[in-house]
Amino acid sequence: MKKFTKALAVFSMVGGAMFGTQALAEPFKIGICYDLSKAYTFATPQVAQAAQDLAKLVNMKGGIGGEPVEVIVRDHGNEPQRGIECYSKLSREGVFVFDTLSTPVSLAILPRAMEDGRILMQSLVGRGDAVDGKVFDWVYPIGPTYWGQAANDVAYIKQLHDGDLSGVKVGFVYFDYPFGQEPIEILETLSEKEGFELELYPVPLPGSDQAGVWSKVRRDKPDHVIVWMLGGAHVVASKEMQRNRIPMEKYISVNWLNEVDIANIGTDAAKGIKRGTNVVGGQDVALFKEIMTELYDNGQGSGPIEKTQDVFYNTGLAMYSIMFEAARNAVELEGLPITPTSYKAGLESLKGYDANGLMAPITVTAEDHGGGGQTRIEMWDGEAWVPQTEWISEYGDVVWDVVKESSAKYEQ
Amino acid sequence: MFYRLSGVHHANYVSDSRIFKVPADRNLAVFIFLIGLAAPFIIPSLYLNSYMLPWLIWTAAALGLNLVTGWAGQLHLGYAAVMAVGAYSAIHAARFGVPWEFALIIGGLTSSVIGSLFAFAALRVKGLYLALTTLAMQFVMDWVLTHSPAISGGSHASLQSPTLAFLGQDITSDTGFYYVAFGWCVLVTIFMLNLKRTGLGRALVAVREKDFAAAILGVNSFYYKILAFATSSFIAGVSGALLVATFFFLAAPEQFSVTVSIQVLAMVIVGGLGSVIGSYFGVALILLVPGLVNGLVVTVSEGLGMQINVETLAHIPNAVYGALIVIILLIEPLGLGKLYGNIRDYLMVWPFDQFKK
Repeated sequence: MKKFTKALAVFSMVGGAMFGTQALAEPFKIGICYDLSKAYTFATPQVAQAAQDLAKLVNMKGGIGGEPVEVIVRDHGNEPQRGIECYSKLSREGVFVFDTLSTPVSLAILPRAMEDGRILMQSLVGRGDAVDGKVFDWVYPIGPTYWGQAANDVAYIKQLHDGDLSGVKVGFVYFDYPFGQEPIEILETLSEKEGFELELYPVPLPGSDQAGVWSKVRRDKPDHVIVWMLGGAHVVASKEMQRNRIPMEKYISVNWLNEVDIANIGTDAAKGIKRGTNVVGGQDVALFKEIMTELYDNGQGSGPIEKTQDVFYNTGLAMYSIMFEAARNAVELEGLPITPTSYKAGLESLKGYDANGLMAPITVTAEDHGGGGQTRIEMWDGEAWVPQTEWISEYGDVVWDVVKESSAKYEQ
Repeated sequence: MFYRLSGVHHANYVSDSRIFKVPADRNLAVFIFLIGLAAPFIIPSLYLNSYMLPWLIWTAAALGLNLVTGWAGQLHLGYAAVMAVGAYSAIHAARFGVPWEFALIIGGLTSSVIGSLFAFAALRVKGLYLALTTLAMQFVMDWVLTHSPAISGGSHASLQSPTLAFLGQDITSDTGFYYVAFGWCVLVTIFMLNLKRTGLGRALVAVREKDFAAAILGVNSFYYKILAFATSSFIAGVSGALLVATFFFLAAPEQFSVTVSIQVLAMVIVGGLGSVIGSYFGVALILLVPGLVNGLVVTVSEGLGMQINVETLAHIPNAVYGALIVIILLIEPLGLGKLYGNIRDYLMVWPFDQFKK
């Protein structure tokens, strides 16, 4: 009998522990279905680490509305099929905010998210026309679209030429597939509007051979070269530029250029290289310092500290600061528990939010799911990134024309 | 004991030309078919939707490739491109207002025409040269898709598929999609099971074994190769269209890239060349195991309370998966289908296996 009561006591304790935890608050979960093993590994580890660190920090400060937050990181190997599997699995576990950081997977999940009413965050990837909130109710590509980014690059060049682009020659070097081709339409429209000459230089994938491209650039002598390439292709490009004696200052990269690329080019050789960005690069950021003192100094970081010295880590912090801030807004607006609709309202009440100076301020509305699309141009001075402009978002009308034209096709 | 046989003995041609020469095989096939029919009611929707459905469609596609590679012995590295042709033409047809029944057939026929047109040129060479030529087809198709917004659907290269409908009935539920995939897979399976009983199938096998020996026997090897390409392309086209219509809901070039071509070929080779059941196993291994192993590794590491870096966590399943393929091919180079065959043969007259099988 004694044995039985003892067993009963143990059983009830175990049971209590099991059910007790379930009775606790359900954490607010974000499903991170990332490509951690194939094509996007130049950025995903840093971004995922930032997401985990930020979630830890939020929980240390008491969570959101008193509830803990959780980020669930899964690998999909950049395969649409596995991305859908990740989405379906997590959404059945009650996750309703997803991020993929992969264009093919984002495209594959989009119809399901729209159908199921789940939030699909797709900063910097996926279809750019999803900023049109009237068509894409559940998709939030917060941050600049590639169209907006290219337009801002042109605006920067216009600043350099004192507001007159006539007679200026702009080269566009791009990966010859949809990622790189996306800005062409905008650039062509702007070239007509502003009167600059546009030269296109397609680079065949994977971008390891660019000899022909850059000798052509040398012959054409464009004043600036806007570059839509990733990772190692920047390194190849810089080698070819040196060979052809094209000054680095002409190079204006898409946001996918990080410290690893700079180190591979050589910190000195990269002097003068420019990139468009929507986050502040470097470590002189309040949120970054807080994470360092609270987590990494105590050995609580979610990964190696080297990964944090990277602009994509800051990009990750920016993306997830937005997601957590939206959750806070949702709790403020409609209380707990957070639902897809209240979270949507939370996102759409973000106004001028810049995560304490970490990124370009964003304002999300029901019409504009992109948050305004501000970027700035930074230049590498050999040691750090020096901002060349304020946060700008120019040619909004031209960009939105393209957005509307494209999103109308989705509705058909 | 399991098969209740003392061996397989044919007393007449009719019994020799049966699809299932062993009654137990037929019973097993019927049993699996019934499970397949009942799946929406017994399998949780997550597994139905994210595992069963793609598995069935890819199996249908892999069977099509098996026709060309396993039966006719022609290496094909551009299979995904053929699937893309079918998918894009069917979706464009459906968007144009053609009913889905016809859109699928249009997709299949377009694939068939383009696939065999290409084969006309490609089949002038053999073996590895043919493989490279088909790879070229893949690259041509990749280029076309990424450079013609009219086909690929605008600057994002994503083409929305209209709602699938058969006989005026919109199909929107998971169960509906599943049955469409199931129906198509069953159709292709029945076709492939019957293929080896027909003159066409025997001609293809003759071509595979030695094409000039086949020619001496009066089999026009070029004609049969083209026929194999055309048929397999038709299956590829419809499978590609159904994949988009029931699973992806929009078509993007990445879904039909060169890696996908190699994956389908891997499915066929790991499953077993010329084996129908092997294609089912091969697709399961190549398509589903990475995700399953991934889930398993995550669960185990969480269960043990290990703090593994997300990146490492993502690479462990890949290593396990790679090792799995190597181990399987070491154990049985003829693939999973043969592995199944070995077990079946062993059990055929068990426990009296001292007798002749």
